[in-house]
Amino acid sequence: MTDDGPAVRARAASVFEAGQVLSTSTLAERALWLSDAASTLARQADGERDALSEATGLSIPMVEWATRTTLETITDNAMLALAQNARQGVDRALDPIGLLSVVLAGNVFTASVRGIVVPLLFGVPVLVKASSRETLFPAMLRNALRSTDSRLGAAMDVVAFPGGDAEAEAALVELAEAVSVYGSDETIEAIAARLASTPLIAHGHGVSVAYCGSHAVRGAHLGDTISELSLDICAYDQRGCLSPQLVFVEEAPDLSAMDFAERLAKEGLEPLSRTLPRGPLPVSVGAAQAQWRGIAEVEGTLFRGDTYSVSVREPQPIRWSPGFRNITVAGVRGLDEALQAMQPIGSNLKCVGTDSASMPELQARLTESPTLSAYACKTGTMQTPALDAPADAHPIWHALFRN
Amino acid sequence: MTARAALKGRIEAQIARFEAGQRVDARVRDELIEDLAAWQATRIPEYGRLQRHGTWPPALPTDVFRFRRIAAHPEAEDLRVFRSSGTTSSERSVHVYRDLSLYDFAARAAARHMLFPDVDKMRLVMLAPHEDEARDSSLEYMLARFAEWFGTECTWVWRHGALDIELLAKQLRDAEASGQPVAVLGTSFAFVHAEDGLRDRRFELPPGSRIMQTGGYKGRSREVDRGVLLEAIHARYGVAAPRIINEFGATELSSQLYDTTLREHIYGSAGPRRLWVPPWVRATPVDPDTLHPVEGESVGILRIDDTANLDSVCCIQTADLARRLDDGIVVLGRASGATPRGCSLAADQALGAQ
Repeated sequence: MTDDGPAVRARAASVFEAGQVLSTSTLAERALWLSDAASTLARQADGERDALSEATGLSIPMVEWATRTTLETITDNAMLALAQNARQGVDRALDPIGLLSVVLAGNVFTASVRGIVVPLLFGVPVLVKASSRETLFPAMLRNALRSTDSRLGAAMDVVAFPGGDAEAEAALVELAEAVSVYGSDETIEAIAARLASTPLIAHGHGVSVAYCGSHAVRGAHLGDTISELSLDICAYDQRGCLSPQLVFVEEAPDLSAMDFAERLAKEGLEPLSRTLPRGPLPVSVGAAQAQWRGIAEVEGTLFRGDTYSVSVREPQPIRWSPGFRNITVAGVRGLDEALQAMQPIGSNLKCVGTDSASMPELQARLTESPTLSAYACKTGTMQTPALDAPADAHPIWHALFRN
Repeated sequence: MTARAALKGRIEAQIARFEAGQRVDARVRDELIEDLAAWQATRIPEYGRLQRHGTWPPALPTDVFRFRRIAAHPEAEDLRVFRSSGTTSSERSVHVYRDLSLYDFAARAAARHMLFPDVDKMRLVMLAPHEDEARDSSLEYMLARFAEWFGTECTWVWRHGALDIELLAKQLRDAEASGQPVAVLGTSFAFVHAEDGLRDRRFELPPGSRIMQTGGYKGRSREVDRGVLLEAIHARYGVAAPRIINEFGATELSSQLYDTTLREHIYGSAGPRRLWVPPWVRATPVDPDTLHPVEGESVGILRIDDTANLDSVCCIQTADLARRLDDGIVVLGRASGATPRGCSLAADQALGAQ
């Protein structure tokens, strides 16, 4: 599917007009429609799991997990609660914009859901430019919306065109009152260059890490920590910006970083490699993986299976993993040392997964940090953000309302 | 005789057989690789830690040369230190030599076979600095040896960190006027600088001329697609495309691979452009997960077992994508920058954070 400039322009105009009709519905109606559409999409995705697996490069069990955990967050109650939060957060009467254009990346196929559903909840029509690598899921979402309610369905459409198509890019954004871009810094720069005063919501390069405090690695908690962390690592094959690439572990007399890494490999990643198998490894990533694993092996700190590996390093300097279930564990004395090691990541740090006991202090320290804008969340949920979780240091409804 | 001396003798014997026009048995080479790897594993702790995957000895990732001194001899015995290009120490691979005789032997034999198979010596123009300006560059070392081995005269047109465009143009005009063929050798980025600097000046180099380009860009010029640069060089210098070849070398290696087209053009055969692998080298695309050889012409990551790497590690795992083609190899380029991982940091950026 490829659209040229005139086709994109026509779809933008159509969606824009549909948004005016959609705005006559109530928020409660839209919340209900979206909840129904999510249920419909869940059923469709189940039937299309082979195609989704092929389109996304994820295994079928991973596709099933991803669609389930994403779509089950789209409930009418959750959306009404989100709307309530938005009203309080915006501190004025909500005046939705006329059109949001969204540029999607292909690494986490369900990332489009929040970015599309939330604007529609507020009556903002959405024109989506799908990733050239993954058009199937956005199209399925559009079809689910259309089958639920014609007004809702008409207010969202999907276009696809190769990067660098200047006319199509211009057509994508010319009616938009805000543009949300997921992808590389180059993609964001290309779109930004086309915008004058239109707000750009950039979801650019980013990484996430995890911090396991002493509570998380003590006694019976250790098993849960390893299970949760393993899920965070394996979800979407560690391709997303919410995937932990590095785990800081508070070392204890009876648990070194090496011990933790070995248990993470054997008790966490190995079982998940069977129940949530990794997808095929792109050879380009494989080249980086071979180098990364080789260095760790030379250093004598590698625990590996067929489709995962764990390396143990000092907290600084950071040696980033190539993703695809290759994770670094770094031993620290405590949260201070972990935060110190995170400083160089700066605004590229998106999320820090942690245990319940460490959460309050970590969140407070992140909030007061002048360099870090990441949010903290519980390990095991890093890849399943709540519907109203912030995105890139902004509320999820950021830029959806006129000033 | 020491174990090292025995191994060195076996390596030299391979290359000497090749130079004498005799067949080098792949099984003999493979046995040598096994024995070399076993000897190196006992002397180089970093290599000794690697585990074998499949039937071949483990291959050391090229990135390790950025972080560790990889040598089977003590530092005091270093004769020469080669470093890859880069702006920070962590970006630069370091390959130390206690003895350059094998390097020289391999480089001369390969270049004689693929770059100068039809002439004893000829006029050379180097789009590269003289080795005195880049003592730690293996490429500049090799080109300096080429000047000694294959040059009737040699002009270095990259001076004091920049391309001397007028000197290059003069050398090319002189070659045109003399009717004597010339070999123009240099880095890809230097050829791009020449493209920019020569503007509308075009040349018709005499028959028998040839061009060798090597290496990537690493931010030292605008990047130009390989095919586009080949076409530009052909149009600029008036040299037929088959006579413009790429040399594949690396700081971590002691042997070089060359495009086949020049030799085939000289001897009247024709085949697809691919890299010739010297018979003392084993070049194999491998699966990135299993590190086993890929099937047929599938794309894998390039592993090179270079027996001329006596005092470091013979078995090297590069980060280049490659596939087999006929009797050679096609290198598709470095993989990491192209990693399609959306909002995750690209590998090169991430590694650059060290």
